Amino acid sequence: MNFFFKSKSYKIISIMVAALFFALWCPSLVAKAQINNNNLTLEKLELFASVFYHIRENYVDETDDEVLIQSALNSALNSLDPHSGFSSASDFLEQKKAEKREYGGLGIEVSLENGIIKVNHAIKDGPAYISGIREGDMISSVGGEPIKGKTLEKAVEGMRGAPGDPIKLIILKPDNTEVELNVVRQIVRGRAVRHRIEKGYGYVYIETFNNSKLTEDLIDALNSITKGLNGDLPGLIIDLRGNRGGLLEQSVKVSSLFLDGGEVLSAKGKKLQDIQRYHAEQGELLPDTPIVIIINSGSASAAEIVAGALQDRGRAVVVGRRSFGKGSVQSVIPLSRGNGALKITTQRYYTPSGESIQGRGIMPDVLVAITSDTGKIKKRLREDSLRNSLSNKDDTNFKEVYKKIIYPSDDWNSSDDFQLHKAIELLSLEQYDEIIESNMSIESFN
Amino acid sequence: MKYVFSVFALIFAVFLYTSSSFNKTAIAFDGNTYEDAFEQLDLFADVLARVNNDYVVDINNSKLIGEAINGMLQSLDPHSSYIDPKEYKNLQISTSGEYSGLGMEVTSDEGFVKVISPIDGTPAKKAGIKSGDYIIEINDESIIGLPLSEAVDLMRGKPGQSVKITIARNNDEKIELNLKREIIKRQIVSYSIKEGLAYVRISQFNENAYRELSVAISSLKKEMSSEIPGLILDLRGNPGGLLDQSIKVSSAFLDGGEVVSTKGRKESDNRNYNADIGELLKGVPLVILIDEGSASASEIVAGAIQDRKRGLIVGMKSFGKGSVQTIVPLKGGKDGAIKLTTQRYYTPSGESIQGRGITPNILIDYLPEGSKKANARKEADLPNTLPIETEKTQKETDSIIPVDYPPNGFKIESDYQLKRSMEILKSDTYLNKLNSSS
Repeated sequence: MNFFFKSKSYKIISIMVAALFFALWCPSLVAKAQINNNNLTLEKLELFASVFYHIRENYVDETDDEVLIQSALNSALNSLDPHSGFSSASDFLEQKKAEKREYGGLGIEVSLENGIIKVNHAIKDGPAYISGIREGDMISSVGGEPIKGKTLEKAVEGMRGAPGDPIKLIILKPDNTEVELNVVRQIVRGRAVRHRIEKGYGYVYIETFNNSKLTEDLIDALNSITKGLNGDLPGLIIDLRGNRGGLLEQSVKVSSLFLDGGEVLSAKGKKLQDIQRYHAEQGELLPDTPIVIIINSGSASAAEIVAGALQDRGRAVVVGRRSFGKGSVQSVIPLSRGNGALKITTQRYYTPSGESIQGRGIMPDVLVAITSDTGKIKKRLREDSLRNSLSNKDDTNFKEVYKKIIYPSDDWNSSDDFQLHKAIELLSLEQYDEIIESNMSIESFN
Repeated sequence: MKYVFSVFALIFAVFLYTSSSFNKTAIAFDGNTYEDAFEQLDLFADVLARVNNDYVVDINNSKLIGEAINGMLQSLDPHSSYIDPKEYKNLQISTSGEYSGLGMEVTSDEGFVKVISPIDGTPAKKAGIKSGDYIIEINDESIIGLPLSEAVDLMRGKPGQSVKITIARNNDEKIELNLKREIIKRQIVSYSIKEGLAYVRISQFNENAYRELSVAISSLKKEMSSEIPGLILDLRGNPGGLLDQSIKVSSAFLDGGEVVSTKGRKESDNRNYNADIGELLKGVPLVILIDEGSASASEIVAGAIQDRKRGLIVGMKSFGKGSVQTIVPLKGGKDGAIKLTTQRYYTPSGESIQGRGITPNILIDYLPEGSKKANARKEADLPNTLPIETEKTQKETDSIIPVDYPPNGFKIESDYQLKRSMEILKSDTYLNKLNSSS
């Protein structure tokens, strides 16, 4: 798999165990009076205030009020469930930055091949693109330093920098001509989508939904693939493996691209009468193209919404392994006076067939493993293995059936992607239509 | 009373503040920081209101605020925390050393409750419960798989009440016993005569530590009729306890003079603690055994005896916890209590133990050199610990003291540290080392 540019702040987000949905809240909606009529709570608040005061006065060293309160909030919110928490003002800023995915650099996506950098994609109108760098070019030297012997991360680090700073690159064109270029770094926006043509089919990898321009990038990627296949796209793979989720809005928009109206998901809060339904817009992008979605135990929340919607609606076949199982929506509530933000679980969501994903995940139509059979199902970190996670009323057995899992044979070359291989295979099989039909009939039963 | 705590499990507390004095403080924020503090409290209330309104299920505010208090305290250092009402009750029990129950030490063994040993003279001992027995039922209810603390709760209760215990012995033998709960006093000091020397072990510093020590010493005096040629005070693995008990225990071996001093944030909080005039074993050579598990109150005793040159410290470098926590009950314990670090303490020579520990005069390990040891965590390894205050002292920069290791193949049960301590007490090494210590 290719390596891509990642902004530092983005990395911080991506290593978080929990996937996040961000849905901005309107702070004015909150009625502060709610808890004041509760004497017990008021009494406990008083207790909190007196402990706070006692610490300020008596701790062995000077204390910082802000640190004390932030630690209190963090601990209280973390105790609710694994996805609720408090973000300090600086964390909150980092999160907002990650959504935009902006950094100072050249605007290319690269991988390391045979010791030199290969350009997989030059972001349109980015500094590299304007200087004439195109997909397929190789970079042999950055800032006067040869790439050979460097890791990809080191090489990428050399390309990043303050906007306005020029950098000298030596480019090898596909026809083996060498070009020396001076590229001025700019603030560029990275993509959360990678695309390529794989054995005559379209392949898109969505890395995260925590990107406010994801849907636009995805449409561009699909257009570029269709163009590359001279207008004939026989099938599409959407790879959501390891996708930890992101913005709820983006998951609805992405699902909507492939659905002609109808429900994508519904979300319910504490008051059961408050059901929020999200619908796809009329018209779809690729009405006659078969779609296979690949998921694994690392596919969570927004990724599960897309997989669940397209599976339930009979629009795509899902292959891979049971997904993470995060069926809750978090709201990020910015606090006044730049005091950071709180992120709390406000809703559970349900796929179009009314199923909750919480603690269960999406079960693929075809279970395909990535590595060969060891004789048993390995335990993986999923929502239900997190301490204190929200429970699901539906506790019927939802385990992968070992006998149904397709494993690569022992002599399968492990550098080849077996799940992708099976996904492409499925696009041209009759089994694809059978699965679609049976999924649609399940939906009409409900 | 103040408390010197350690990180180890099952530790004990008494309180410096009463609930009434605590509640009064809540009103009086001082002027210049009032606004900031109030703004922060306002923020907290605001968040709580939002969570109550918008969280996906109903909130238990008591629990939430308990977590908030704990988070605030734990952000300070590894020894400050919130103690919930149930833990607080257990803390009082372990502090007093008294509880009403059956009188056995138990442990958890793969989901089973296993008897380590019944305590002499208790209902468990009288009923014939033996070390290694498994307790499988209490009052006909199975306790297999029950957390140890809950099983212990079931065995405790009002004195005089009977409890039916079912035990499994030697795999299949099932025995039912009816026991009556009694007040059990936990012994924390034990003593014996070893090779003509007096040996006293203190396992923790609860409120009986000094009283039990003085009883042990007078018994030893009686049993050894002639002069006691030397005393070994074993504080290995002793995680600490009450500050005042550590002072009293030190005082037993010192004729007046400073034992320890403590400093809080304000100068007015600084205190010097002195030994009483007169000592229990005047002129008797004294060796104190310590190891990595000797913490806080143990370190105060070792530090005072070492600094005052009253005895030799032998064994391995101690844990290094140089802070004092105060237990403040909330609403008389109804809402639990908070444990807050309020002071640092200093040995008579003015040294802080924090992060450093006490370095013995003679370093002796219990395992042969290069043996694999369970990784002993020290204060300095704890996350967010209080920083070490001063630069390395003369003592530490002095040439490194060589460690005396047992020969290969020496059995752990034979206790090399104790064996060497006895040899030291009987030889010239004792006086030579004592006189040469800086």
